[in-house]
Amino acid sequence: MKRPFSYHPTMNQLLAGGALLLGALAVFGSPYRGPVARVNLRELARDVGVEADHVTAEQLADWILQQRADYRLLDLRDEAAWSEYHIPGAELVPMAKLIDYPLLRNETIVLYSDGGIHAAQGWFLLEAAGHKSVALLLGGLNAWKDEILFPVLAEDASAEQRAAFERARFVSEHFGGTPSVSGGTLETDRTPTPLPKTDMPVAPATPRARKRKAKEGC
Amino acid sequence: MSAPLFKYGLFGDEISLIVAFVIGIGFGFFLERAGLGSARKLTAQFYLTDLSVFKVMFTAIVTAMLGLFYLSWAGWVDISLVYLSPTYLLPQLAGGLLLGLGFVIGGYCPGTSVVAVSTGALDAWLYLAGVMAGIFVFGEMFSSIGPFFYATDMGSLTIPDLIHLPYGVVVLGVVLLALGGFAGAGWVERLFAPPSRES
Repeated sequence: MKRPFSYHPTMNQLLAGGALLLGALAVFGSPYRGPVARVNLRELARDVGVEADHVTAEQLADWILQQRADYRLLDLRDEAAWSEYHIPGAELVPMAKLIDYPLLRNETIVLYSDGGIHAAQGWFLLEAAGHKSVALLLGGLNAWKDEILFPVLAEDASAEQRAAFERARFVSEHFGGTPSVSGGTLETDRTPTPLPKTDMPVAPATPRARKRKAKEGC
Repeated sequence: MSAPLFKYGLFGDEISLIVAFVIGIGFGFFLERAGLGSARKLTAQFYLTDLSVFKVMFTAIVTAMLGLFYLSWAGWVDISLVYLSPTYLLPQLAGGLLLGLGFVIGGYCPGTSVVAVSTGALDAWLYLAGVMAGIFVFGEMFSSIGPFFYATDMGSLTIPDLIHLPYGVVVLGVVLLALGGFAGAGWVERLFAPPSRES
């Protein structure tokens, strides 16, 4: 007996129907995540607790001197502050654009702002967005200026401190800073210490970006 | 766990090469099984007697598109991390024409020539040698064609961005285009089918 409705679609028709159905459903969705994120609060709290996310100014200066290219340095201040001075190799990323800034989830990112509050807030945003290795410049640009650009040697410093200062002096001069002994600079003139010209000695950031790009595509 | 796995740091450069090798072998295998290792089959496309290439490629596009769309909707793929090759309109038009010419004349596109080499086709070996020579000449000439190579840069462009339609609507549009294309291809094949003998 033949049923009133008997239709046996071919495999091609079935697949076409499936594609059509999925295509029609797609109209109601979007593949982009948008600005919404889920975070594991315990994990974040633990990361903050162990302070594994700190980079000291001295460490960062070493990285730059070694011309390391395995991290990105982001400056979260505004453009005016940026053009006055920024750490060599840093990229200017205004806070509002941080989440959309092209960064890979697996690269080391070092954030800094003047003090450190904005950097810490940016740290949270990037962690929430799933970045694996975000670090803060401890003390921010202020610490960079105090420790790297304008290190001061106390007059009653011990021999050890003096030896350490020789190193600091070398680093400071490399970055265009002005080391000083408390009271007066080593240099003869003591004008209000000018900030060095930016983009002085840098491990260039651009060739690295280009290299990464070349790895992709087909 | 989310994809792209490499960009999320699940494995490094070395493992990624192994992964690429495995995926490449799989890709080549299925290209061959779909008949795309045969220069006859590939050129039949241009005589409108056999549109397998069109159907295979469009099926792959629709499958990948629907898969990516739904996986990222479900949160398993971060589509913003999927690399988009930037659009250079004029050089890409010129390059596409050149590749098409080579396809018609030689009977292979670069990928399928490698597939055909693996099955021992002599013409494919020759074709591959031509590809290598072309790469070499291109590299040597690059300083003079560089300006054109980078002309009309439009950045990483997507169709939804370009025509200001929601992503899902474009997905539906591409599906409809594919289904219409398949029906049309079947019709064209019947129209241009060689009289009897060959099938």
